[in-house]
Amino acid sequence: MKISLNWLKRYIDLPESPKEIADSLTLLGFEVDDMESTGLPQLENVIVGEVLDRQQHPDADKLGVCRVALGDAIGEKTIVCGASNYKVGDRVPVAIPGAVLPGGFKIKRSKLRGVESDGMMCSGKEIGAGEDAAGLLILEGRPELGTPINAVLTESDTVFNLEVTPNRPDCLSHLGIARELAAWYQRELSYPAVDNLPAPGDRPSGEKIFKSASVECEEDCPLYRATVIKGVKIGPSPAWMQDLLSSIGLRPINNVVDVTNYVLHECGNPLHAFDARDINGSKITVRNARECEKVVTLDDEERTLSSRMVVIADDERALAVAGVMGGQNSEVKEDTTDIVLEVAYFNPTTIRWVSKTLGLSSDSSYRFERGVDPSSLRFATDRAVQLILETAGGTVCGPEQVAGSEPMVEKEIELSTDWVRAKAGFEISDEEIRDSLERLDMVISEENDGDWLVNIPSYRGDLDRPIDLLEEVLRIYGTDKIPSGAVVATATGENDNPITEFSRRAANYLVGQHFNEVVNYTLRSEGEQQNWSESVSRMALGLKNPISEDQTQLRHSLLPGILESLRLNRSRKTGATRFFELGRVFREVNGKVVEMISVAFAECSLGRPRSWKLREADDFFTAKNRATLLAGFAGIDIGRFKVSQIVDDSTAWQKGQAAVIDDPRAGILAEFGLMNLERIKALDIEGDMVAGSFSILPERLKAAKRVQFQPFSLFPPTAKDLALVVDQSELANDVVRSIEKIAQKATQGAFAMESIYVFDIYEGEGLPAGKKSVAVSMVFRSSERTLKDKEVNTAFEKIQNVIREKTAFEIRD
Amino acid sequence: MEEELKQIVDAANANVGAVSNRAAFEAFKAGITGPNGSLTKVMKSMGQVAKEDRPTFGKRINEAKQQVQAIYNSALEAIEAAEIAERLGPPIDPSLPSPDSEPGSLHPLTQVREEISRIFKQIGFTVAEGTEVETEYYCFDALNTPKDHPARDLQDTFYLPDDADFGNVSKKSDERYLLRTHTSSVQIRTMLKGEPPIRIISPGRCFRRDTVDATHSANFHQVEGLYVDKNVTVRDLKAILDYFFEQLLGKGTTTRFRPHFFPYTEPSFEVDFSSSHLAKLGSDWVEIAGCGMVEPEVFASVGYDPEVYSGFAFGMGIERIAMIIYGIDDIRYFYQNDHRFLKQFA
Repeated sequence: MKISLNWLKRYIDLPESPKEIADSLTLLGFEVDDMESTGLPQLENVIVGEVLDRQQHPDADKLGVCRVALGDAIGEKTIVCGASNYKVGDRVPVAIPGAVLPGGFKIKRSKLRGVESDGMMCSGKEIGAGEDAAGLLILEGRPELGTPINAVLTESDTVFNLEVTPNRPDCLSHLGIARELAAWYQRELSYPAVDNLPAPGDRPSGEKIFKSASVECEEDCPLYRATVIKGVKIGPSPAWMQDLLSSIGLRPINNVVDVTNYVLHECGNPLHAFDARDINGSKITVRNARECEKVVTLDDEERTLSSRMVVIADDERALAVAGVMGGQNSEVKEDTTDIVLEVAYFNPTTIRWVSKTLGLSSDSSYRFERGVDPSSLRFATDRAVQLILETAGGTVCGPEQVAGSEPMVEKEIELSTDWVRAKAGFEISDEEIRDSLERLDMVISEENDGDWLVNIPSYRGDLDRPIDLLEEVLRIYGTDKIPSGAVVATATGENDNPITEFSRRAANYLVGQHFNEVVNYTLRSEGEQQNWSESVSRMALGLKNPISEDQTQLRHSLLPGILESLRLNRSRKTGATRFFELGRVFREVNGKVVEMISVAFAECSLGRPRSWKLREADDFFTAKNRATLLAGFAGIDIGRFKVSQIVDDSTAWQKGQAAVIDDPRAGILAEFGLMNLERIKALDIEGDMVAGSFSILPERLKAAKRVQFQPFSLFPPTAKDLALVVDQSELANDVVRSIEKIAQKATQGAFAMESIYVFDIYEGEGLPAGKKSVAVSMVFRSSERTLKDKEVNTAFEKIQNVIREKTAFEIRD
Repeated sequence: MEEELKQIVDAANANVGAVSNRAAFEAFKAGITGPNGSLTKVMKSMGQVAKEDRPTFGKRINEAKQQVQAIYNSALEAIEAAEIAERLGPPIDPSLPSPDSEPGSLHPLTQVREEISRIFKQIGFTVAEGTEVETEYYCFDALNTPKDHPARDLQDTFYLPDDADFGNVSKKSDERYLLRTHTSSVQIRTMLKGEPPIRIISPGRCFRRDTVDATHSANFHQVEGLYVDKNVTVRDLKAILDYFFEQLLGKGTTTRFRPHFFPYTEPSFEVDFSSSHLAKLGSDWVEIAGCGMVEPEVFASVGYDPEVYSGFAFGMGIERIAMIIYGIDDIRYFYQNDHRFLKQFA
């Protein structure tokens, strides 16, 4: 909201500099976003001087050498001047040595073409008073010699652009802000006097012009007042009013309309003036709009209304959208002579809804939807009538037409001063509390040993409870004076969330593996999502109200973002090829969308600067290892889950070169390997992409459990090797699992197969087509004794027999 | 005989120089002490030596054996040294760079988040987490935000379609799903789950329907804090934030509170800081956080008795803090992920 300093000064003395006032407003809770000063800045050493005579400069045709009188304190000085618009005897602004002009131009004693000059006579532009740079600023009215120029050219103003928080509608006006400053500086606030109006009984009847006002929807409009003024003469408003309105960005229109705008920004009360001729039947009804009723508002737009909206209507039609904007059909025109002035209180919720639904916000709706003080309507009416009579003439008529009644706004709050101190946590005396409240026009109507009854002014709709008064006390006491203290650290016995812990471990691991962490947007484009994979393209991840086409969907994976980072780095030739990201992703599982914790990494095979020594490139198994470790940080052993090969081109992964572990019941998804070469190419990325990701439902992440020590055998192991010929499509892990089961039975608990691992895979010569050999090493060990060869051999025999009889595997000799 | 032994040793000395690998060594060794070796032959002639000469002869042979053994040892050493030298190759040039990738790095936003968490952990705050998809109840209603508050508008907040169904984001009743506009929803869910004392910070990603520019981003990161206990005061809030900002921005950092308004706190403040460590900012007050005492209505919505408990909450933007402490002037750098940006924070 724009607030003019000159306007404020109509109600309160403010000798402080604009900067100081801005600081005070900020500490009162009205943050000053910016401030703009017009007129002269504060200038030191720029004073009034008089040209006593002018000689031609000996060496420069265009320069004059002047003798200038600068008052008794300084005397006469010689000044060289290039202007030509002045004559001897003119008084002008003179910058003497030491002055700093706007733009940082410093004035010092200097020589101009060999002649000493003791300062500079100034143009308007040079001292920041307007744009005229053509010649010296000739001062009117012969101001005293030596007077600071700021005391002569006082026409200046500062406009503050301030933020008024939604709880303070009472401050959406100059009087409201002045009231706050009066409390802050402890100064008198002078409200405009409106006692020169004719008393109600002395007013001529206006009934011929306007008969009555009534309200059909009292909930939306609890109070409506209409006043008739006849015989006004429409014309421009006075200069002072135009200046003030212009200063806060309003365009002057005519005297009556300007008065309504002026009073709105003075008191915070929206008003509206109707041309009385246009009120059919001379009656106003505040009613709900009819469905699809139309009205052309003052901004030239035809508005189609609905029945929840409220209009100001005559017998035939809507004249205004209540509380939001007037209609063109009844606006004040050049030939208007009689007007009906409306001042009302509308329900904030109604106006907010109407304004939002119509997409139409005005200075009026802005105030009504935040809440206007209902008891201020009479003052606002009087003030507007007064100003209209002053600026447009005419006669105010009676009686005032009033519909509805003033809502009760009187409030009292019980406050204990001990409670205030307890909440504040520091010593603040009864007197300081009293002072703060009273400066804000609150009245302590009863007191009983620190228990007070506080009467709240009608305009403070935001104050209902003692806690609200605490804020007021602190505000006037000075929130910048709230003392600091020792930190009291309550121990809650909690740990960081498992998600946090998991993220830390995962990030630290990947950083240690030379990956750079990236952060990408959660919202992705539909095209990207559609092209990712067939299953993703079917997921319902769209937003209801996206802001742009490239950000319509929740991300299903971190990899698209990582690929984007890779592409950017590749095109900028930064040489970076390894990136990872941690964050939330979304998947649809069985008709429901779930949010998952995810970590993903990718390395591009191209893009690094050439090196004097080559390292082996990452492959599927590097990615698998990483995915396994990352899952491990989440407490998940992905070796226990079924791993599926990527067998077709329907995914973002390369057929035959990647794998997926997807277990919705366990709430995990892991993918790793080589990314789909064609899709990567389609994304305009050169090189192979070895990547992986692991995602888990947040509720499946648990704090790490304490480990229980497991004793281990001190006796030596015995190893047996076995090579099996199996189908090429058989997964090695399935082979291992089968043997494990068989071995468990074969040893029958007498001892155990401690481990089994694949040490060779072979296909080719010596094996039938479509077959491969999987060689495993089995390690047996007992926890009680050294195993005898015989018992191990017996078990090994048994295992082989079972394999021969019960499996499709063939033992290779 | 004496002469013979001397010749054997001399020959060994003369020939050992040509022994350059293990095979040659074995041949060389066999030629001297092998079954048919020259020294073996001499030893075998022991039987023909007169009895009285045998001790002397034996002693001489032993001496020769020792000499030959010494030659063997030195030859073996030389071979091993040569083998190692070959295995290791020429000396390295230590000035060459490692061919491994450049160091990895944590994103600056992660680093700032971790630093904030670390400082708050010192004073008893632990990290709480929540989902990025939230419902209108937990994001607005429970936080005392009026039904028609502009923050709820489709203009300002991202909503999910009306028929959206989230498996792991619980609703209060049939309110709408949205992308959280702040992490205050985590505070509500934490309070609903437990009893005071509560002392948490909740860092996380938030969303506002802003157009991207130098200071706005489609998503951003925030950290909020909440402390609920008996007898928590405004001064405690000031003390905590003073401690935090001094730890974060250096000794001599000061903060000031300015009155403000948030629906979920009363009284509410904005926090400015001033720090001589950040020369770019000069001596002015710089806005950095919002805070306040938890609004009694918020306690009511989570079933805490406002007569018994009090508390405070605060919140700040992680991007904004990162921009201030690292001197970054455009928020978009954080989301472009240019390596020349990222590696500066490695």
